[in-house]
Amino acid sequence: MVAGISDYLKKIWALSIKDMRLYYFKGPTIVMGIIMPMFLWLAFMIGSSPSMGSAVAMLLSISSFFAASSITPVILPWETRQKTLEMILARPITIELILLGTCLASMLYGVFVSLVIIVIGIFLGVCPANIPVLIVSILLSSICYSFMGLLFSAIPSDVPADAVLLSSVIRMPLIFISGVFVPINRLPAFIRPLSYISPLTYYADVINKLYIGNSAFNMGIDFSVLLLLTIILGIFTIETNRRTIIKRL
Amino acid sequence: MTVVEAIGLYKSFGPVEAVRGVSFSVPRGEIFGLLGPNGAGKTTTIRMITGLLRPDRGRAFIMGIDVHRDPVRARSHIGVVPEVSNPYVDLSVWDNLLLIGKLYCIPKETIIERGKFLLEELGLYDRRSSKAKTLSKGMRRRLLLAMALISDPEILFLDEPTSGLDVFSARRIRSMITELRRNGKTIVLTTHNIDEAGMLCDRVAIINKGKIIAEGTPDDLRIRYGKYIEIKVSFDNSIDSSVLNEFRDHYNVTCDERWVTIICEKNELDEVLDKIMNIKHRLGLRIKDLHIESQSFEDIFVRIVRGE
Ligand SMILES: Nc1ncnc2c1ncn2[C@@H]1O[C@H](COP(=O)(O)OP(=O)(O)OP(=O)(O)O)[C@@H](O)[C@H]1O
Ligand SMILES: [Mg+2]
Repeated sequence: MVAGISDYLKKIWALSIKDMRLYYFKGPTIVMGIIMPMFLWLAFMIGSSPSMGSAVAMLLSISSFFAASSITPVILPWETRQKTLEMILARPITIELILLGTCLASMLYGVFVSLVIIVIGIFLGVCPANIPVLIVSILLSSICYSFMGLLFSAIPSDVPADAVLLSSVIRMPLIFISGVFVPINRLPAFIRPLSYISPLTYYADVINKLYIGNSAFNMGIDFSVLLLLTIILGIFTIETNRRTIIKRL
Repeated sequence: MTVVEAIGLYKSFGPVEAVRGVSFSVPRGEIFGLLGPNGAGKTTTIRMITGLLRPDRGRAFIMGIDVHRDPVRARSHIGVVPEVSNPYVDLSVWDNLLLIGKLYCIPKETIIERGKFLLEELGLYDRRSSKAKTLSKGMRRRLLLAMALISDPEILFLDEPTSGLDVFSARRIRSMITELRRNGKTIVLTTHNIDEAGMLCDRVAIINKGKIIAEGTPDDLRIRYGKYIEIKVSFDNSIDSSVLNEFRDHYNVTCDERWVTIICEKNELDEVLDKIMNIKHRLGLRIKDLHIESQSFEDIFVRIVRGE
């Protein structure tokens, strides 16, 4: 049993190394992962003049979200196209292991991009209040975003652009309703229910608490909801991908 | 001992009934061929046996393990080269091997040792650091074969291992297959190349429209279905086809400008030749050329598939 689990972990790790090497930790991808949220962030900075603390918090809130959910949706359609999917599925692994491998790679990429921003922040004299809590929130939210990214790849299309389109259509609005740039209580009432089911809301809340000391919810609520959303998204993602992956053969 | 067993497999894709009740079993150490025309259901069958597709009905076993109950354990005994597949083109030859080895949880030293042996055997060792995208089609196929063999599997599934390859690459793969068999491995392959099946396989099952319609050793099939011979005769003058009417009642006769072709059973040879001589004398013709051939495996295959 223990040997079984350690074998599974080894396989997930091997698959995730493959994903990191092929997709995530490549020069252009890393640059894009940092620059994309940076531009969005700059667009908001111009005009408003927030404190350094809230500026870093805003950037940090969106960057791991961008990172962990941008390339992730493309991988399965891409591998279908490249005809590597059936080749890898014929090994002693399961669809779940493939998805968890990608999720792990995507999470580590999100963590990496976040660390870069945290370090830049520290150089600018902005320090988070509690580093362990920060790390846990980054890990948890990155897993959640990765599952979200993988969910977009469950559309039965082998055209990577389809997954990109779908994920952009959903990701962009999510940023605006999650209290990153505009506090939730200033959003129109009919949008607010959506804010409450966005994982980004709770992550951004933790980041705000740690960087500028104010937050909308209690930290316990933030983490509980984030965990709950991660579990729900995880189950949903694995289930939907299991259905479509058969059609990819 | 039976190592691969398919029991009443069925699979439909919407209205297309791709596989309709395929059953067979393969004992250890055999090269078993699934031979059939395009769209016969070969790939679908292989996918069901290797646990990639769930059959609508029926079961599949590998080394006694139910493939759909415990796919991971079943697949740990097999190596597969799917029909259309690629290595990771942005990884090197060596890294592709390493990745697959890790998915079988093989110790790294073993992977290195076996990987080196396989790449040398398949003529890829010099290219081990090249990215897979720089390999030719034949080399990629060989790399895929090496990847399927890195776990030293008991059973190997090859879906059209040589299609689209030149004679040299194809030969190399075939010689690897016979070499593996000599070492006691079991191989299940699909092909629509009849000569290949005749050459390599200990046993073949001919599959058409999702059903196995004949099964046996290539020699078995030759004897069972190959009782026909083909007689081709060419005269110095073209003859009126009505002359051949006396053949038509009993035999399959075709005729073009040059050849009159008659297909008959072996024991009718004497009778047919008499009739030919008869025509020759009656019309005062001379025979320019004459061929008598047993039917090739290919003819037999065509005959079986057509249901004759
Ligand atoms: N994923 C799929 N979706 C829909 N139809 C399919 C799918 N896979 C196979 N088929 C259909 O099932 C039938 C059998 O296909 P299969 O690929 O098993 O044949 P094959 O014997 O391998 O042929 P070939 O020699 O061309 O490889 C075909 O009619 C094919 O169109
Ligand atoms: Mg096929």
